[in-house]
Formats: sequence, C-alpha cells, structure tokens
Amino acid sequence: MSETRIIDVGEGAAIPSKTDWGLFNAWTISIVFAISTIFYLIVFEPAPYKRIILYLSDGVIITFEVTIISIICACIIGLITGLGRVSKNKAINLLASTYVEIIRGIPLLVQLFYIYYALGRLLNVHDLTAAVIAMSVCYGAYMGEVFRAGITAIDKGQSEAARSLGFNTKQTMFLVILPQAWRTILPPVGNEFIALLKDTSLVSILAVSDLLRRGREFSSETFLYFETFTMVALVYLVITLLLSKGVSLMEARLSHYVRH
Amino acid sequence: MSATSAPSTLPIVDIRHVSKSFGALKALNNVSMSMSLGEKVVIIGPSGSGKSTLLRSINKLETVDSGTIIVDGLDINAPATDINKLRMELGMVFQSFNLFPHKTVLENLTLAPMKLKGMSRAEADEMGLKLLDKVGIMEKAHVYPSKLSGGQQQRVAIARALAMSPKIMLFDEPTRALDPEMIGEVLDVMVTLAREGMTMAVVTHEMGFAREVADRVVFMDHGGIIEEGTPEHFFKSPEHDRTKLFLSQIL
Ligand SMILES: Nc1ncnc2c1ncn2[C@@H]1O[C@H](COP(=O)(O)OP(=O)(O)OP(=O)(O)O)[C@@H](O)[C@H]1O
Ligand SMILES: [Mg+2]
Repeated sequence: MSETRIIDVGEGAAIPSKTDWGLFNAWTISIVFAISTIFYLIVFEPAPYKRIILYLSDGVIITFEVTIISIICACIIGLITGLGRVSKNKAINLLASTYVEIIRGIPLLVQLFYIYYALGRLLNVHDLTAAVIAMSVCYGAYMGEVFRAGITAIDKGQSEAARSLGFNTKQTMFLVILPQAWRTILPPVGNEFIALLKDTSLVSILAVSDLLRRGREFSSETFLYFETFTMVALVYLVITLLLSKGVSLMEARLSHYVRH
Repeated sequence: MSATSAPSTLPIVDIRHVSKSFGALKALNNVSMSMSLGEKVVIIGPSGSGKSTLLRSINKLETVDSGTIIVDGLDINAPATDINKLRMELGMVFQSFNLFPHKTVLENLTLAPMKLKGMSRAEADEMGLKLLDKVGIMEKAHVYPSKLSGGQQQRVAIARALAMSPKIMLFDEPTRALDPEMIGEVLDVMVTLAREGMTMAVVTHEMGFAREVADRVVFMDHGGIIEEGTPEHFFKSPEHDRTKLFLSQIL
C-alpha cells in the first residue's frame, strides 16, 4: 500500500546508492580520497597549498552562505509554487505555471546577469543578496516541479479520507499529503540541493567572492593555476559529498514508517 | 433485524432528483432516495451502475450536477453550508482503506478529533483505544498500518471514522479488496455497529450481510434506482427483470 515511489527528476543519483558494501562504496571512497589528498598537500607541500587553502577559506564561507540561504529560499518558493501548481484556483495555478515556464526557459547564467545587473543596479541591491535572489528564484521553479510531482504522487484516496473526516483543503495538505510527500520529494530535492551548490560557482562571474572566484583571483596573481584549481575542485567535492550525506541521512529518518 | 432498530420517520438523508455526469456518461440519472435516522440501507447493483457515485455525493466527494441532497437538515450544496463541518457527521469507509501510512494506528484515530474537535491527546487516546478495542485490534495501537492485514486495516478505518462520532456511516464496498478469510471480521464489526443503531448506507455484494442487517435494499443499474424494498421482498420476490437477472448472477 505504501511502497516508496521514486520521482526521477533530471540528473542521476547524487545520493549514494543503498547497496551496502561496507566501506567500499562510492561515497566513502570519494570522501576519503578528497580529504586525504587535501591533508597530504597541505602537510607535505605547504608552500603553495597551505597558502591556497587559507586564501580560499573566505570563499568557502561565501559559497556556504549562498548555498544555504538559497536552498532555504528555494524550498519555500518551491513549496509555494508546487502548491500553486496543484491548486484548484485557476488564477493561482496559472501564475505558478507561468513562473515555472519562464524560469525554466532562461539559462541560469542569464538570470544571474539579469537580476544582478538589471535589477541589482536598478534597486541598488547588495551583491550577495542579488546572487541569492537569482539562485532562489531559479531553483524555486525547479523545486516547485519536484514538489508538485511529490504531491500528485500521493494516492487520491488519502485526500478523500482526510476530506471525509472533515479536514479542509489546507489541513489535508499539511497534515496528510505533505508529510507523506516528503519521502518521495526528498531524493529529487536532495539532487536539486547539490545541483544548486555546484551552480553557486556561477556567481563567481559577478562580484561575489565565492570559492571559485577566490580561486580565480589567487591563480591570476600567482599563476599557480594547476595547484589552485586542484584545491578548488577538492573543496567543492568535499562540500558536495557532505551535503549529499546529510540528505541521505534525512531521507533515512523520514522513511521510518515504512520500515517499522 | 429491522424490527430491533425501528427506523424513525425523520429523514436524515434526503436525495432528490440527483443527476451527475462524467463527460458524456450519466453516472446518476435523476436519483431520489431518503434515509431515516437509524435506518440501514444496502445498495447493490452491477459494476458502473453509479453506487459509489451516489454514496460519494452524500458527503460531497462528488458534486452533483442537479438535484438536491439534504443531510441532517442542511442542503450540502448550498453556499452557506459548511461542508467540512457536515462531513464530521458522515463517516466514510472506502474499499481501499486509505489509512494514513505516516501515522500509527492510534494516531489515525486521534488525528481528526484532536485537530477538528479540539480534543486533548489524553482524551483522544482514551477514546481511540476504546474504539480499537471495539473493533478488536487494541494490541496494534502503536504500529503503522503497513504492518496490518487488510482486514485489520479496514477495521481500523471503521474505527477512524467512528472516532468523529458521526451520525451516519457510509461504506463503499468495504470488503471488496479483502481476502475471503478476512471478510467476516469486517462484516462482524459492521453488524455490531448496525445493532447499536447506527444509520448506515452500505454498498456491498455481501448478500448475507444485506439479509441480516438491511432495513431496505436498493438496486441500482445504469445510474438509476430500479427497485427497492425490504430484504424479504427483495430476495424472495423481486419485481424487475433486471433485478432478477442481477440476483441470479450474484447469488
Ligand atoms: N471520476 C470519474 N471520472 C469519470 N468517470 C467516472 C468517474 N467516477 C465514476 N465514473 C464512471 O461513472 C460510472 C458510475 O461509476 P460508479 O463508480 O459510481 O459505479 P459503481 O456502481 O460504484 O461501480 P463498481 O461496482 O465498479 O464500483 C462508471 O461508468 C464509471 O466509469
Ligand atoms: Mg464503486
């Protein structure tokens, strides 16, 4: 009656597969590889690498900031959009659908430029804020689709049962439908989180000193391109792997009522 | 059975000239039917005859195209009627159970009374356990529905509906999805409920249940009520050819 339905949205599995080979799974191998390489380089070749990592650390924080705030905003926008997309109210439905249609039709980079230069300059918005708004608005649309898919995947009998007990549409959505939809929504949402994290590197094109931009600055001053971008790639890898682990832990916790 | 719970004359459900179409298909064609307080009506008929649609329009899971439906004195389709409030008086049991899989058995029972009637958790738990005891699965209170057999799930679904203390219970083929050995346990609960005087509308193919419990049997075909009467009349001397044909196929 309640087997997990997987909604396949876009990219492949960013979340480690469930096949348990002890320590020999892709996630563990990757994280061990990334962290030990970073440590090895810092300890045994401190000359460029320690300098690099210290220079990059500000950028890591900015990347984190942009990612976390954008994820939160995109989730809220996504939830609202998803609810709008399943709403029986025609105007709300049309509004949500149009938003998704427009956003999905414009490349993220163009949206970034647009919000950053066009709106940012016009309204005098802070650089970082403009970047976060652009990421959130874009990913909000994608997440809206994930939410919509998750909500519509719940059997119609669930909302009929809730309605027949006397719950109104809102109570039905928040007490019955969404708590179940999380389970199917979370894997694709996790994929969106990770895609978002990686796409924050695009904000380096703007005047936002994220991880990638700090790398570009450092390498253009020192001409240590290979060393710098090796470090940048490794740091992105570590952050991405940690985020994907977090998502799969959350997923495991949410699936409690099927396993019991 | 009909003698023990004599139906009073006050109609609690009054369906008047109701029609409903799905596209070109007329699922209900000018149907009228009323139920009095305490009455048990069993609705039978071939697949696609409109039984579910009729039952589901009583609590407005389906909205009818024309005609009126009065429940407990209120026109359910009138703009002034608070349908959510009215639905609290109408318990519904589905063929597919539709328990909430993310809630334990007990939570399935207590969710609506707590959220809709402001019952405290302690009160709701006490009442929920009493109801689970009544349907014979108190020991499963804290497990998730996916751990239960079909028969157990359906008994929980009945208890969940009863937790709102409805005036009327609607059953849409509650035993159709069950393995034969589990049908009895669910029917037993329904018989008990009937004996307690609950007003019930039951769509079912269980003719034994209809004979034992029904005050009235309603036969539907092609979106209309073809014939209705007491079980004695219905099973011994049906008037219409279509009723006879249906009964000959099912009995
Ligand atoms: N949501 C719907 N959309 C389109 N057609 C529908 C819908 N619900 C019911 N119908 C159609 O209306 C007719 C009556 O359906 P209904 O479910 O009321 O029949 P039923 O007597 O309950 O049949 P069964 O014994 O198979 O449950 C059928 O032809 C059915 O296909
Ligand atoms: Mg039916």
